[in-house]
Amino acid sequence: MNTVVLTEPGDASRQMVTLARKFGEPLHAVPMNAVEPFAPDALAAILQGVADELNASAVLAAGTERGNEVMARLAARSGLPFAANCVAVTPGSPVTLTRLRWGGSLLEEARLHSARPLITVAPHTVPVEAGTEPVDVDVKRFVDGLDERDLAVRVSDHVAPGSGGVSLTTAKVIVSGGRGVGSKEGFAIIEELAGLLGAAVGCSRAVTSAGWRPHSDQVGQTGTKVAPEVYIACGISGATQHMAGLKGAKRIVAINSDPQAPLMLNADYTVAGDLKEILPAISAEIRNGR
Amino acid sequence: MIAIQAVALALALIVAGTLFSRRALLLYRLIRSGKPASRSGDLPARARAEAVVVVGQSKLLLRLVPGLVHAAIFWGFLVLFPTIVIAMIGAVDPHSTLPWLGTQGWYALLVDVFAVLVLGGVVAAFLIRKVQRPARFKGSHLGEADLILALIAGIVCTLLLWHASQISMGLNDYPASWAPVSGLLAQGLHGPLVPLLERAAVWAHVLIILSFLVYLTYSKHLHIGVAAINVYFGRTRARGRLEPIEFEKPAEDVRFGSARVTDMTWKQMLDTVSCTECGRCQDVCPAYATGKALSPKLLIMAVRDQLMAEGPKALASNGSYVPPPIVPNAVTDDIVWDCVTCGACVRECPVGIEHIDHVIDLRRNLVMVESRFPAEAGAMLRDVDRSSNPWGKPQADRTHWAEGLGVRVLKAGEPAPDVLFWVGCAPAFDERARKAAISTAKLMQMAGVDFAILGPREACTGDPARRMGDEYTFQRLAGQNVETLNEARVRRIVTTCPHCFNTIGNEYPDFGGRYEVVHHTEFLAELMREGKLTPMPSERTITYHDSCYLARHNDVRSQPRELVDAVGKAIEMPRHGERTFCCGAGGARMWMEEKRGTPINQERVREAAATGAETLAVACPFCTVMLDDGVRETGAKLQVIDLATLLAEAVEKRRALAT
Repeated sequence: MNTVVLTEPGDASRQMVTLARKFGEPLHAVPMNAVEPFAPDALAAILQGVADELNASAVLAAGTERGNEVMARLAARSGLPFAANCVAVTPGSPVTLTRLRWGGSLLEEARLHSARPLITVAPHTVPVEAGTEPVDVDVKRFVDGLDERDLAVRVSDHVAPGSGGVSLTTAKVIVSGGRGVGSKEGFAIIEELAGLLGAAVGCSRAVTSAGWRPHSDQVGQTGTKVAPEVYIACGISGATQHMAGLKGAKRIVAINSDPQAPLMLNADYTVAGDLKEILPAISAEIRNGR
Repeated sequence: MIAIQAVALALALIVAGTLFSRRALLLYRLIRSGKPASRSGDLPARARAEAVVVVGQSKLLLRLVPGLVHAAIFWGFLVLFPTIVIAMIGAVDPHSTLPWLGTQGWYALLVDVFAVLVLGGVVAAFLIRKVQRPARFKGSHLGEADLILALIAGIVCTLLLWHASQISMGLNDYPASWAPVSGLLAQGLHGPLVPLLERAAVWAHVLIILSFLVYLTYSKHLHIGVAAINVYFGRTRARGRLEPIEFEKPAEDVRFGSARVTDMTWKQMLDTVSCTECGRCQDVCPAYATGKALSPKLLIMAVRDQLMAEGPKALASNGSYVPPPIVPNAVTDDIVWDCVTCGACVRECPVGIEHIDHVIDLRRNLVMVESRFPAEAGAMLRDVDRSSNPWGKPQADRTHWAEGLGVRVLKAGEPAPDVLFWVGCAPAFDERARKAAISTAKLMQMAGVDFAILGPREACTGDPARRMGDEYTFQRLAGQNVETLNEARVRRIVTTCPHCFNTIGNEYPDFGGRYEVVHHTEFLAELMREGKLTPMPSERTITYHDSCYLARHNDVRSQPRELVDAVGKAIEMPRHGERTFCCGAGGARMWMEEKRGTPINQERVREAAATGAETLAVACPFCTVMLDDGVRETGAKLQVIDLATLLAEAVEKRRALAT
């Protein structure tokens, strides 16, 4: 019984191999880097070719973003049923399996009727066990046989996200602006301070509604939930929708002309006044100190 | 001659009858193949709906001119119905007629009058379509409508011509003096060609009617046959209630909403074939009005087209053919998520289509089966599930708003108060919505009401999860809340949130929770009437924004206005009461980004500002937040205040004056 696996570096792949052994050995591996740069259709075509040639009993991959993508394309081109993000499988006819649904909040028991089940294994749900390791297939023949259409979808370039490269989710410091900033141009003083502090720039929903900043900068319930050491909120009143994104912030500094604004009442440090005077003054002070 | 004409009529009837019944049988089998929907019982309410909505044309008459036009045609057809038989008899034998009715002068008069009314109606309808060209027809099949109007005009004109030529030839079986219009026409008919005209008119009349009968089963004009049935099977009570999914049924019988047309209930199928594309729903839809992807009319039409294209194939294959999913093939994801479930479309629809049920079933499938929904709403679903409130706040903070007010928190095992104040998540946690909860509590204290809150034992009712399509989470929360409320033996509940009000009052009975649920505006008006609260009147101008879940889904409209009148001078917005315009937060839209079109809340704030009122009164925590945002965004000169806060201020003013 031959089983085909799509392998990649990392624990998720090794965990998958543990489950793959249940479908029969030897294990034949097609490595994710068989096609560089990443081209999911090409990998799917290779997996299909290898599985057909070896008359494989199953094809498995790790339930990573790339693993799921390649397997979905394999399912589409071969017409075989595919079960994603499984945590347990029992081979047989049908295959019985348990898989994660709803971002992991539910477990689904399912039966998969297929002569060649396609399965991905949810990462970090299965322990790694020692056993026969998969052997890489010589994929050269299959790579040479690829169609131009199989390469239509491929990684062509890597572009870093905007706003200076400091991401909201990982930033230690965030300088965030609200309606009180007044305009798109008004964010210049926020960006200036953020630049000096090595901070990310955030904003409230009011700002993205007004079209001053992109939605990717929005902090809150329907934006990004953040957990910086320091969150500097400038001209943000602190609607519940915004506060819901700040639960992880360790220290909140609020600058607002209205001392009764909810964010001022919930902040660790507050400055009541015009942010158009206060922010440039802070920036100037930082520059003087250097 | 009689024999030849009898054979001709028989042939025409057989051809038309065959074509008609083939199509009618297909439609019948298709709708019978729909999934179950419970629409039995409640006979008096169904009879009332038939009388008011169908015979009385109540919904059509909401728009006076097109309403009268339709009523003239519809009532005309009811009156003229027996003339079909009379004409068929006359087509075979010019000297015979329907016994009794065909000889009655009063009936001849009715036919004359209504024939003219129908003709007038057709001309007016044509003018509306060609000259006025209302936007509600955008996307409808306009050519089809023209053909139908032409056929109706043909039916009536040939009828009048036939009657006129009969009178001219002395063939009338009724006194000619009773038929003024036909009589007048007859005066212009002389000469040898009149007998030929008589034959031509009656045969044209019969043949147009038969073609019309066949054509309507293939067209949007099917509503003639099915609208009355669809209205009959409409919801009779609790319009704000959604049908629960019965998870405990055998797995294969549980319907996780609709993925494909074959998953739809028979009522939903009947809905789609009832649609006549009049666009009244589209005209009142807040999503459509603000440039979003959704038009309730186009949604129903798209589902109908998919049903008619795929349904018969599935039917013929005995279940082996699996049609493609509705989303995104017939309806895009955006359309499904644009809906605010405000119910304006359902309220407006003259043929009883229940659009919200379609949207919710599509959402249920997307959320529970496909896990596909606007990413930003994921946080809300997770927080409702894990933290029992949509913002993920600690449950222990639920009583923060009441600090220093001396409000009793009902502990487990304690006796229930007269009134349980169900605070709701937004009033408990949101700074702006909180004021209404504080004012309501103070007013109840002033009026000496024995009340308490559940504090940390209160969980989200599950409304936002349910309107998103996440029925699992909703039912878990509903079960938990019903258990808490039943254990405390709660009888009467007051809440400031129309969404909690709707969910507990209309939906919790499905999960074993039966309580008298009162909205705070109703309760405060009651206390005011009993003389327990006496506000100070003022000249302050107030425009009141009706919440959809209060005014439309639950018919609470007069009590909030009693409060407005007691504290200031009311100015109504053009869209008010039952025909109110959503703030943009319903249907869990509160937790989604409004990426398409213009913001709904700003549209509503502009309408409010145009009244010139100083205050925009609200009675819902979500409306409070949405409209207050809208006021800030548009810079309108308006104060957004909950009615409870307005009343509390006015009562305190009166008290200060008294001391």
